[in-house]
Amino acid sequence: MRFGAWELSVERAEGASPARVAVGALVAVALALLLASALFWTPEAGPWAAYRIAFGYAFANPSGLGATVHRAAYLLLCTLAFLVPLRGGLWNIGLPGQVYAGALAAFGVAFWAGAREAAAPGPWLLLMPLAAALAGSAVGALVGLLRAKLDLNEILVTMMLNSVLFWLVADFIKEGGALMSATAEGESFTLPQDFRPPLLLGLPPTAFLALAASVASDFVFSRTAAGYRVRTYGLNPQAARYAGIDPLRVSVGVFVAGGAFAGLAGYHYFTAVPGLYKIPTNYGYYGDLSFYGMICALIARGSAVGAVPMALMFAGLSVGGRFAQGALRLPFGVDYAILGLLMTTFVLSHLVDRYGFRWRRISPPRAARPQPEEAR
Amino acid sequence: MTREQHSAQATARPPVLRARGITKAFPGVLALDGVDLEVEEAEVHAVLGQNGAGKTTLMNVLFGLVQPDAGEVYLRGRRVRFRSPHDALAHGIGMVHQTRKLVAAHTVLENLVLGHPRARGLLDLHAARRELRSLCQRYGVHVDLDARVWQLPEGEKQWVEILKALYAGARILILDEPTSALTPPEVQVLLRALRNLVEEHGVTVLLVTHKLPVIRAVARTVTVLRAGRAVARLPVSEASDQELVQLMVGQEVALPGLPTDTPRGGVLLEVEDLCAYNDKGQLSLRGVSFSAHEGEIVGVAGVTGNGQDELAQVLAGLRPAASGRVRLAGRDITHLRPLDRWRLGMGYVPADRSEVATVAAFSLVDNVGLNYHFDPEICRRGLLDRGRLERLTRRILATFRVKAPHPYVQARHLSGGNLQKLVVGRVLSRQPRVVVAHLPTQGLDVEAATFVRGRLLEAKSRGAAVVLISEDLDEVFAVSDRVGALYEGRFVALVPRHQTDPETVGAWMAGLAGRDR
Repeated sequence: MRFGAWELSVERAEGASPARVAVGALVAVALALLLASALFWTPEAGPWAAYRIAFGYAFANPSGLGATVHRAAYLLLCTLAFLVPLRGGLWNIGLPGQVYAGALAAFGVAFWAGAREAAAPGPWLLLMPLAAALAGSAVGALVGLLRAKLDLNEILVTMMLNSVLFWLVADFIKEGGALMSATAEGESFTLPQDFRPPLLLGLPPTAFLALAASVASDFVFSRTAAGYRVRTYGLNPQAARYAGIDPLRVSVGVFVAGGAFAGLAGYHYFTAVPGLYKIPTNYGYYGDLSFYGMICALIARGSAVGAVPMALMFAGLSVGGRFAQGALRLPFGVDYAILGLLMTTFVLSHLVDRYGFRWRRISPPRAARPQPEEAR
Repeated sequence: MTREQHSAQATARPPVLRARGITKAFPGVLALDGVDLEVEEAEVHAVLGQNGAGKTTLMNVLFGLVQPDAGEVYLRGRRVRFRSPHDALAHGIGMVHQTRKLVAAHTVLENLVLGHPRARGLLDLHAARRELRSLCQRYGVHVDLDARVWQLPEGEKQWVEILKALYAGARILILDEPTSALTPPEVQVLLRALRNLVEEHGVTVLLVTHKLPVIRAVARTVTVLRAGRAVARLPVSEASDQELVQLMVGQEVALPGLPTDTPRGGVLLEVEDLCAYNDKGQLSLRGVSFSAHEGEIVGVAGVTGNGQDELAQVLAGLRPAASGRVRLAGRDITHLRPLDRWRLGMGYVPADRSEVATVAAFSLVDNVGLNYHFDPEICRRGLLDRGRLERLTRRILATFRVKAPHPYVQARHLSGGNLQKLVVGRVLSRQPRVVVAHLPTQGLDVEAATFVRGRLLEAKSRGAAVVLISEDLDEVFAVSDRVGALYEGRFVALVPRHQTDPETVGAWMAGLAGRDR
């Protein structure tokens, strides 16, 4: 497009600076909120009031803040479950299956320990998260093994296992299932007090674990030989083979680690979040929610620490959006709409990073220049 | 034509394509610095320059792949700006890249139709076939339109790329290093056809290369680029090879010396009756046996597809041996993993520097790590010593004269030659006892190729056994102590260099062993 002696064009950029990425993320949030304001427009209250209610509840109300942090920790663990295989070039799309496996294993330990009746004291509080992580890892290991040995597409395998595990949970908690509640309402039994992890500042240990794991994950990928090998395989499997990096170890390793994080996410939400302590009827909702963990990983461009504010943002908006929806009698699904818009604007911000506007001065036609000097 | 006449003609007849003051900078690198280029209609205009001189960037600008920071492009006197390759093609400029841009699983016909301006919505393959047959007839090209691309030899793939550009209406063809992956007979066929395209059909060819014999065979004019600047534009007939080389590198180049007389030591590498399958499951290495001694370079010549890839990969541990034995300093390594071979002193320079030997998105430091991530000096208790790795990278960049703005630049920003020097430097810096170097100078300019050969000779002189797998007979004869040729997966012969000559080995490569020539 020409403007007098200047021309404006859209060109592919060579790479965006961290500052530009940060500004892009902020603009994306602002744009999403601006677009979503139409959804909050009611005769009683404008979008400003709606956002005040949503953000006030999510980040300033003690009970809302707790819900936000619990949800953010869950999203962060799901982010890690997706991000670790992603750094190895593998897509753990069906991670909800590993979340269900983790929840099932944790409740399995509780059931085995007699949580439905009078439980004998024991190391259950340690065994439950361990079992959850191991169950997620076992599902992940199967995926990694099938990928490395038979070259089966990990996206298809995880999605199929996702479905298998969803119905396995249903089988265990519905009427007649080993983990069903006493009233057979299509949910698991509620964990007794002895099986609930202690809270520190109102938060379960898994919330702190998620944060520490995010820092550790970035450290592992940037500083350790194992992380280097995973990154190499993720960016160029041929070069990785040349460098003597074993594809089987990488595939199985990243899925085992990813599965462990997903299993812990299942443990966190169903056994460690105050007010729940059971696998509810709508457990599929939490599986769906885990997809926002993947979005966080993609938006943060593979940085687990970078995903922390994303997870908080998504968690806050989903919790606050749901609250504002009830308070202002807004249509059902406003919270999902905001998350969807946020996702879209973040993707757009990535596009803006890859392409940039460029002003170029159009030089006037010149007289023929002399030929390049013939160096002789 | 003298230079004066040439210059006079250039000013009298408006050039078909003219670039003025083209400037382009990438992060940390000024790739083009005010380059001027003038190409006349129906000529082969060569663009000569070292690796990293800016040749490919300039062509990418002319083809709309890269937008210049400054400068203008004129097509038949009219100023143009190509926003995309599609745009350039619409103006009659086509480009054949150094790396193939074909879909291997598709047929030739499908590849030719793919992306064609008229191929939108429903494809009329019958009409396309008719048009392409007549196009092939017109240009004297013989390509099976129904063959799958992966089944074609490199020479024919090259032709599919050229046909694709011509079919899309290109009248100006940019060919980026078109001979780099071709065998000598294929090169001759291509050059003949290019002459025909220009002389009989008035097509203009911009030929990017650093091979002087290729330029001399077909080009009328040559523009020499050096460090992002056009330093000369000359009629080819008026310039000597020495002069062109000097213009290209800006200094006198020491031509490769003969192998140093290193006393041959004991056997370091023994290969015994080695067989291996290729990716298609065919037995492509059929009982190869040879040995390489301390302080010796064994040159293995051969036309692509005769088992060289498989030999190199089996030696490096990247492909399993179907049968046979490989021993390194007496130890059987046939079934060892690549990493264990690295640790035992094997060094491997793969043929494909961009897809196999490096990670484009990695910095040079991380790329050096590919050969060091297991080294106890660099990896301690599972942690990478990045400071040490950076110092090592700086040392390799300095020793192997890799032109890079800093060690943290992404490998994708390095020219092919500099990337190759990095790969060779990285491998040799480990001081391996056995070096397998597969096409180590492919696509390199004279200076870089000379440098790399010099480093291989250096490795030999410190006692390494070097297996040099190459298609370039001059190279094989310049540095090898013993010379052999692979034909259909078998060694035709392996003899001391002074007992044979390039013609004989050329005949071995062509499967003419034992016949009268």
